[in-house]
Amino acid sequence: MVRAALGSLRDATFVEAGSGLRAIEVLGMEPVQMVVLDLNMPDMHGLDVIRFLRSHDRYRDLPVVVLTTRGDESSRQAAIDAGASQYLTKPFAPSALLSSVRELLDARVSRRR
Amino acid sequence: MSTSGQDRPFADGFMDDYFAEADEHMVAVRRSLMTLESALGSTLPPAALEDLFRSFHSLKGISAMVELREAELLAHHMESCLRAARQGSLTLTSTNFEVLVDGVRMLEHVIAARRASTPPPSIDAMAETLEALGRTGNEVRTETPTANNTRTNEPASRSGGARWWRVTFVPSPQLVERGVKVDTVRARLMQLGAVQNVVPKVVPGGGISFEFDVATNDEAQLAQWHDDGLSYEPLDGPAPAAPAGAEPADAAVVERPLTDLTLAGSSNVVRVDLARLDDLMRLVGEMVVTRSRLEDTLQRIEAHVPFQEWRALQDHNGRLERNLRDLREGVMRVRLVPVGEIFRRMPFVVRDLARDNGKRVHLELTGQSTEIDKFLVERMMDPVLHIVRNAISHGIEPPERRIAAGKPADGTIRLAASTAGEAVILEITDDGGGIDIPSVAQRARSFGLVVPDDGGLDSRALLDIICASGFSTRDQADRASGRGVGMAVVRDTVEGLGGTLAVESRPGRGTTFRMTLPLTLAITDAIIAHVGDQIFAVPQTAVREVVEVDASLLSAFERNELMPYRGGTLPMVRLSHVFAMPAAHRARHHAIVVGSGQAALGLIVDRIAGQREVVVKTITDPLIRVDGVSAATELGDGRVVLILDVAALSRTRRQHSRVITGVSA
Amino acid sequence: MSETSVAALASTPAAAQAYILFGVAGTTYALRSHDVLHIEMLEHVTPVPNAPAFVEGVVFSRGQVVPVINLRARFGFERAASTLRSRLLVVQHDTRRVGLLADESREFIRISDAAIKPPQEAIGGLSGNYLEGVATLGERIVLVLSVREIVETVPTAVS
Repeated sequence: MVRAALGSLRDATFVEAGSGLRAIEVLGMEPVQMVVLDLNMPDMHGLDVIRFLRSHDRYRDLPVVVLTTRGDESSRQAAIDAGASQYLTKPFAPSALLSSVRELLDARVSRRR
Repeated sequence: MSTSGQDRPFADGFMDDYFAEADEHMVAVRRSLMTLESALGSTLPPAALEDLFRSFHSLKGISAMVELREAELLAHHMESCLRAARQGSLTLTSTNFEVLVDGVRMLEHVIAARRASTPPPSIDAMAETLEALGRTGNEVRTETPTANNTRTNEPASRSGGARWWRVTFVPSPQLVERGVKVDTVRARLMQLGAVQNVVPKVVPGGGISFEFDVATNDEAQLAQWHDDGLSYEPLDGPAPAAPAGAEPADAAVVERPLTDLTLAGSSNVVRVDLARLDDLMRLVGEMVVTRSRLEDTLQRIEAHVPFQEWRALQDHNGRLERNLRDLREGVMRVRLVPVGEIFRRMPFVVRDLARDNGKRVHLELTGQSTEIDKFLVERMMDPVLHIVRNAISHGIEPPERRIAAGKPADGTIRLAASTAGEAVILEITDDGGGIDIPSVAQRARSFGLVVPDDGGLDSRALLDIICASGFSTRDQADRASGRGVGMAVVRDTVEGLGGTLAVESRPGRGTTFRMTLPLTLAITDAIIAHVGDQIFAVPQTAVREVVEVDASLLSAFERNELMPYRGGTLPMVRLSHVFAMPAAHRARHHAIVVGSGQAALGLIVDRIAGQREVVVKTITDPLIRVDGVSAATELGDGRVVLILDVAALSRTRRQHSRVITGVSA
Repeated sequence: MSETSVAALASTPAAAQAYILFGVAGTTYALRSHDVLHIEMLEHVTPVPNAPAFVEGVVFSRGQVVPVINLRARFGFERAASTLRSRLLVVQHDTRRVGLLADESREFIRISDAAIKPPQEAIGGLSGNYLEGVATLGERIVLVLSVREIVETVPTAVS
């Protein structure tokens, strides 16, 4: 569903990881510009994935969009505190995900400038 | 329920009401179920889930009132299931949907049995199934994560005396090609023995490796996996502790307080699910309604009861009313959350804004544990953000200027929260250059505002000026700050919440914005109705239901209008008439049914525009204290919306009709 | 809401006080600026059913529900449509805050106490009850109003 939402991004390749550990594994092997992350994952919770990422220089600035079913403040805050760049609640409008991703990518580009 | 001779007619009347209402809700339930059933497998329409949830909630409530325990219990469990479904933590599949359908069928049986005065069916099995279903949803909610997951309390025993090894897995593209990925490795290791503490690590050079603590005696197998990227070494000592650098027990905000509780021993803090709080509020609201019905009844029986007893009843009623008010306030206080919720985003915002503006800013937060109403947290987020943005873009000077002025290159912004009696004070202070008063005064004059020549603007005047909409000292007010327009909204928001905004500017030294907010708010759910070109709000607690009225079904009886309702008739009152407004005779109206039994009344409005949570502002001035209107609110555009006093309206109307039709109490 | 603010004044010379001037049906009135909390442009007024005829309705001012008295109606003049010049003067008396709807209000001036004469018996009619005095400023005659009289001597709402 995420892939479908982001389908209109040109020049984008998607790698799907089915779990938190897998996601980190992929990050270690391929150059990734952005992560869209679910929180409720079986082997490693999304928040911990983010914390891991943020604690290493290499991934500190990697944009991470968090998707989860909880819409309330504490989850949002927890995600932001852990270092998420953006936070979307499921069900989300595909356009919301798309614009979040675009926003973060643009920001990244301009920061490098 | 007491069945003394005198009570019977009353109790029976009540049951009639119950059955009628239950029927209504069951119709709605069946309708929602049908809608949901056809959507199974794809996205379920949230409106249907919401309707179904409400129906179960209502059924639970009314069943409780007539003490039909079986119905109450079934409805309660199904309500929990729907709550989980609404939140997304329970997905409705064809299988568990069937469970719901069975539950509904059983509920119907229970109600039918009561109607026929036969014993109800046994609901135990069904209740258990439903409860389990509702619980799955809630369990997922607690999101059991741990950085070093699979940490169980059993390793020592599970390992059954096996040795502990630290197994390191280094992934690579070649391994992936071969199908050896980290989750396959994990699965393998778990088959081998107990796995604890999975920790990802970044290796020099940027790659990733994973460390697993595994308890097994099958060292040979571990050795065999060497070509699959696995290496291992013995881990000495008992069950491995959490690796340094990991964050134990606070992996999820939800878990942290629980851990604190268990570690600290006894604690005076209870963490409350917001949904339960809302339920509590609703229950209190229902109690308020019940009490006012009690009051209605009291008035009706005045003539039939000896004075002494009647006075006693009145006293009890009065006391109950006061208790309920206190209870309501008490529950409101439970809605208090730490103001830190507002502050938490700030470090990120400040960092980004400072960077964008070429400023260096250091942020200080104090008083984060100060508590304010949850409602306020949401409303105050934007105003606080706005002021902080202003401070960074306009208040704090660029580093060179600061150094030249003898200040540290880094500017400081301090957000402080504190309580003072019944109020919470939020202060945002920066050590920038203060507000440029001469330039503000100049600008104000150019607008035609009156400003004393000596430039001695006091704080209040200064605030008035910078909050005047359209006012800004920058011609092209940065879109980000939108100063001027933004400050007006900030003040309106603060004052709309019953608070005050003040500013203090120290030229060359900085600016402080101080927002004082009330600790508790009167908030209530209200039905919004249109009558003519006016909008009114009716407190949800007074509303029994909302119905559509077909003008053709109304019949006039002397000075009243009646409508067929639940097998009887419902007296109707046109609000347009009560409030002396031009009446719009439409083919269809909406009516808000208030009161119950004999005192039920339908208030005819043009249409219902929905339900909102509103902040209640009481009307105190004698000039505007009129019958039928007790308070006011606004819906976001600054216009006053009157809140109707339903009890007063009913009373007035009853008095009128008594006079008109000559019927005595 | 946009508004003109009342800038606070530095301490005034001994025998003069600051007043806000406003017009109702062609006559200029004055209120002590001390009693006027602020002046706003009139936005939407919500009518209150069954309130006295001269009560235009209610508005929100600084987060509070404030009744609006239509001064034209109060003083016995014919109502007129609001214009861009209409102003709402929010006044404070004791614990009450009341809004007064005037046709216009643009000035504030200092009037020396000496310039204010007590209202003559001859000025009768409705207006007479609310006057504290009459001030002559050059060619102009300004009627100085008493906030208390306007706000308090009001018949309570008819139930």
